[in-house]
Amino acid sequence: MMRAWPHWMRSGRVITGLIIIAAILVCAVFAPWLAPHDPNEQNLLAALAPPAWLEGGDPAFPLGTDSLGRCVLSRLLYGARVAMTVAVLASLGAMVIGAVLSYLAGYFGGYADALIGRAVDVWMSFPPVILSLILMVGLGTGLRNVVLAIVLVDWTRFCRVLRGEVLVVARKDYVAAARLLGFSHWRTITREIVPGSLPLLITLISLEMGIAVIVEAILSFVGLSVSAQTPAWGQMIADARQSIHDAPWNLLFPILMIFIAVFGFNMLGDGLRRTLDVRLTATERA
Amino acid sequence: MVTTIVPLIGRRLLISIVILLIVSALLFIVLHVLPVDPAAMSMPPTATTAEIDAKRREMGLDLPLSRQYLIWLSHILRGDFGTSIHFRRGVLSLIATTLPATIELAVLSMIVASLIGIVGGLLLFHVRGKPGEHVLDLGSIVLLSIPEFLWALFFILLFGVALHLLPFTGRLDPDLRLPSITGFLLVDALVAGRGDIFRSAVQHMILPCLALGLAFSPTIMRVLRSSLMDVYQDDYIHQARLRGLSERRILTHHALKNAILPTVSLMGVQFGFLFGGTLLVELIFSYPGLGNLMVDAVRNADLPIIQAVGLTYCAVVLIVNTAVDTLYLVLNPKLRIR
Amino acid sequence: MTVEVLVARDLTVTAALAGRPLPVIGELNFKLARGRLLGLVGESGAGKSMIGRAIAQLLPHGFAVTRGELMFDGEDLVRMPPADRRELLGREIAFIPQEPLSALNPVLTIGRQIDEHLRRLGVTGTRARQERALAMLDAVHLAQGRDLLRKYPHQLSGGMCQRVLIAMAFASRPKLIVADEPTTALDVTIQARIVKLIAEMQQRDGTSVILITHDLRLAAQICDDILVLYAGRMAEYGPARRVLAGPAHPYTRCLQLSNPPMSGARRGLYVLPERMPGLSALASMTGCPFAPRCPSVVADCARAPPVFAEIEPGRGAACPRHDTTARIVAPALAPANAAGCAALLLDVKGLSKTFRAHHGFFRGTSVDAVKNVDMTLHENEFIGIVGESGSGKSTVARMLVGLERPSAGRVVIAGRDVSDGGAAAGAHQRAHAQMVFQDPQSALNPRRRVAAIVTQALEATGAATSQERLARAGELLCEIGLPGEVAMRLPAQLSGGQRQRVNIARALAAAPRILIADEIVSGLDVSVQAQLLDLLLRLRRQRGLSLLFISHDLSVVRYLCDRVLVMYRGEVVESGPTAEVFAAPKHAYTRRLLAAVPPDDPSVAWTPDEVEAGRARSLSHG
Repeated sequence: MMRAWPHWMRSGRVITGLIIIAAILVCAVFAPWLAPHDPNEQNLLAALAPPAWLEGGDPAFPLGTDSLGRCVLSRLLYGARVAMTVAVLASLGAMVIGAVLSYLAGYFGGYADALIGRAVDVWMSFPPVILSLILMVGLGTGLRNVVLAIVLVDWTRFCRVLRGEVLVVARKDYVAAARLLGFSHWRTITREIVPGSLPLLITLISLEMGIAVIVEAILSFVGLSVSAQTPAWGQMIADARQSIHDAPWNLLFPILMIFIAVFGFNMLGDGLRRTLDVRLTATERA
Repeated sequence: MVTTIVPLIGRRLLISIVILLIVSALLFIVLHVLPVDPAAMSMPPTATTAEIDAKRREMGLDLPLSRQYLIWLSHILRGDFGTSIHFRRGVLSLIATTLPATIELAVLSMIVASLIGIVGGLLLFHVRGKPGEHVLDLGSIVLLSIPEFLWALFFILLFGVALHLLPFTGRLDPDLRLPSITGFLLVDALVAGRGDIFRSAVQHMILPCLALGLAFSPTIMRVLRSSLMDVYQDDYIHQARLRGLSERRILTHHALKNAILPTVSLMGVQFGFLFGGTLLVELIFSYPGLGNLMVDAVRNADLPIIQAVGLTYCAVVLIVNTAVDTLYLVLNPKLRIR
Repeated sequence: MTVEVLVARDLTVTAALAGRPLPVIGELNFKLARGRLLGLVGESGAGKSMIGRAIAQLLPHGFAVTRGELMFDGEDLVRMPPADRRELLGREIAFIPQEPLSALNPVLTIGRQIDEHLRRLGVTGTRARQERALAMLDAVHLAQGRDLLRKYPHQLSGGMCQRVLIAMAFASRPKLIVADEPTTALDVTIQARIVKLIAEMQQRDGTSVILITHDLRLAAQICDDILVLYAGRMAEYGPARRVLAGPAHPYTRCLQLSNPPMSGARRGLYVLPERMPGLSALASMTGCPFAPRCPSVVADCARAPPVFAEIEPGRGAACPRHDTTARIVAPALAPANAAGCAALLLDVKGLSKTFRAHHGFFRGTSVDAVKNVDMTLHENEFIGIVGESGSGKSTVARMLVGLERPSAGRVVIAGRDVSDGGAAAGAHQRAHAQMVFQDPQSALNPRRRVAAIVTQALEATGAATSQERLARAGELLCEIGLPGEVAMRLPAQLSGGQRQRVNIARALAAAPRILIADEIVSGLDVSVQAQLLDLLLRLRRQRGLSLLFISHDLSVVRYLCDRVLVMYRGEVVESGPTAEVFAAPKHAYTRRLLAAVPPDDPSVAWTPDEVEAGRARSLSHG
């Protein structure tokens, strides 16, 4: 049965990554049904309860409660919504902007390339963390602004990598041949250049999703992400840090979630890079 | 060689200044579409609207944006970075006290990251094709998935709470004092001959530097490995073997000298990310640096600090990038000689 | 000290591909005596490079010597411990590589690399090594040695790098030197000088040299003995001049006849069908590997592999029917269409192109790539442009199809001036002239299937349905001589010759009247080249096509083209009917180009411009 699957799906890393991401997606989408409690429901009497399997734990709160008595498990599940939404939307947005600019820069070369290259240089002289902080200060909090901030910061990541590749491909003879046969610029880019860069794009998106999760966690840690009503993993970390000596496990769980999510995206990205790239070079060498 | 490098560096510095100007303008624009009113923020809650308006006029916030920008720019060029709304101190002095701490942290972390990265990269390259490769490779992906603030929190849990081995707040034990000369604690301590302060400072820096170093080493590792793999495909390596050179000599004298080029280039880019990462690490370890200043400013919508600190981050990254570019030019003869 | 430096006995190298071991070289038996130059001749895939690797015992992953022995000075290289073998490399056995520019470390100076080599050879003392380095550079006729030592490889030309590598190879006075296609990557005039240099140094030191090449004429001129390989097996062996004056093996003869002649009466080329069998095809063959393509084949040939037998003392061939080889002749040349009153298709006057490169805000250098070129092309005419790298011939081609805008001059195609670069002019240009690109690797989109590539011209207008496109693809493939099943393949699954055919078909699909071919047969094997040249002539007869053929290979141009233009550094230095220009060249550069090609007849002496005269020039040209 495995043989029927496309080549790239047979990589262990890709499968591992997909399983992890799928699991988190399920958590995110089905949070209202999976979560045992409302994530914002406070039970001040049961604050800082340990996980159910430790002494003093309550089976009603499988992973314990935080300083305001809110169920940690429920908050984790709802936090997955924020993480995944940001991951998908922000990376798609960054990809669209970064990719379009890369194609324009690489294909037309000359002034377009110089201009876009300079823009990337300007952007990249800013540490991304600082820039996203400042953008959030300027834009204000909220999910939409978080996505926007990440898009505005991270498009350069796509552009930098893709632009190099496009510059090489655009100089190949088959691109000139297409123009000679009467292809318009648009058709040449979409038919001759874009398909070749798809593997790279897909790899970059998976990696970017992991980065988006991290950036969102940082922003909510500092308190500049979604509103306080929406549970987010970074926020949970910030809360848990206050009570680190009394309830260290509250810090551990969101840390683990972030790590697992990012690990899943990285495995997927790395697996895709190996299978898609290798196939390319193998056929080009054959 | 010097004659070709100097004009190239000069060009880079010129471009950096232009970039700084553009960045300052962009910062200004972004921050002035705030929903928050700095005038209202700096007045006591009992202030009347008329008093707030007067304050706004005093702060020059009623002028058109472009004029506000030019005024601010002219102040900056004279060295006046404005006054903090929240701290009621000159911004420049605030930055002067915190910047050296962050630079100290960043430089040491970069050294740690580079060491781990280069050793790891050589190790990864060494085991290619052998049974250990898969495990080590997966290990590098695990490392890649742990950002610096997760490491920081984990270290606090492990060494601070569970094991009580190392300190995890601040730069020094609270009872130690040292008049600051350069602002770099390690340098000052050595100069003043205070071994106890030096030791305390080092202890306080271990966890933050390790957090940053571990977070930023895997990219360096992987790039070094893939550069080495690329270089080994090149013809001159094969020719060196045909001339009878030993594998060790080929690695040290031929392969590494070429593979180090893309690695150095990447390390320059990584420094920008690392420098931004210091913000979180400082926050988590309560380390009194630029990052903590920034976070306070952000929480208080203290515009002058945000603008100035933003520019400072940018300037540092640009200087480091120029330095790395220079290093790259020195290492790569194809770029400096036609 | 034995008489023979290298003796191969029954040497077999196999590759483990997809689990099955497949022989890459089989049962190789030859002897190389002291001071002799052996030429290993074969097309790509024949296994000649494998022999060099086997000698160094640096076979690629998955390849191994499975039988036989390779005796160097009495000791078996195959069974030698690796440490001993590494001792020999660089000292007793040296190598001259194919691509000189990439064979040197780009971040180290020439001086450092030579110094490292000399240190390995045991020369102690920095001063002694430097003096030795200068002496080495002098021996290969490189002037200004001190300056050169401080330079980096990218500052040198290909020819100069190759001289440095030759110097390093001969530095230790080795017993054996293996030169693997040492001149293929160089310009024609440089090739001649480098080859002569190797021969000169070989004679001076009495080194035994193995020269691996695909060029029969070259081997005939400078090699003492020659070994012809086919599909990893020995086809023929013997003294070079004797073998080529009267080959015994049919393959040698066919190869000889596939080479376009440089002198004498014009004749057709012998076109060998299909290709040399690949490894897996070879494994399933019984009998002689050449049988499917051999003109002397009989039923017995396919039953059992031929035994390599001695024909005369010192000569051998793997063909029982070697006495019939002399009867193989080239076909007569098809009569060319009368070019008399044909219409003028292309008229170029004063064409020039200057490139400006910007290094920084204020500085900028300009390069005059093409200066004042005039040419005409009539209907049904084939003209050739010859020149070396930097002559501007490719830039001229690109300007004719519209990929570059001329800086000055006029290009008139089918009566209309297209030099302005406007949209209508561009459309007219595209309808009349199409280009076939040189590098098959970058000329075909690796993701498009062959059918999609050849009908790309239809895709631009979007008029044809996919049915129509498939049908048209089939027609085109048939016209260029490829089987229909190729239509669904990807370029990576095609051979170099097949890729070039697809390249041509793509250009033909736009139904141009002028085809511009930029070095389309360079880098192809001689037999594949003959097939393509045959195809071009056939297209001329069937379609009335005109061709502008750009090449550095004079023999191909002589064969194919009615008229020729010789370009040097952007200018046309000579032009005229091919026969006249080649028989009585007027310009010194043309004479130099012609002299750089080894003569057809191995008994005629080959005198490219002498090394002494080349010494002053080696500064700038290599």
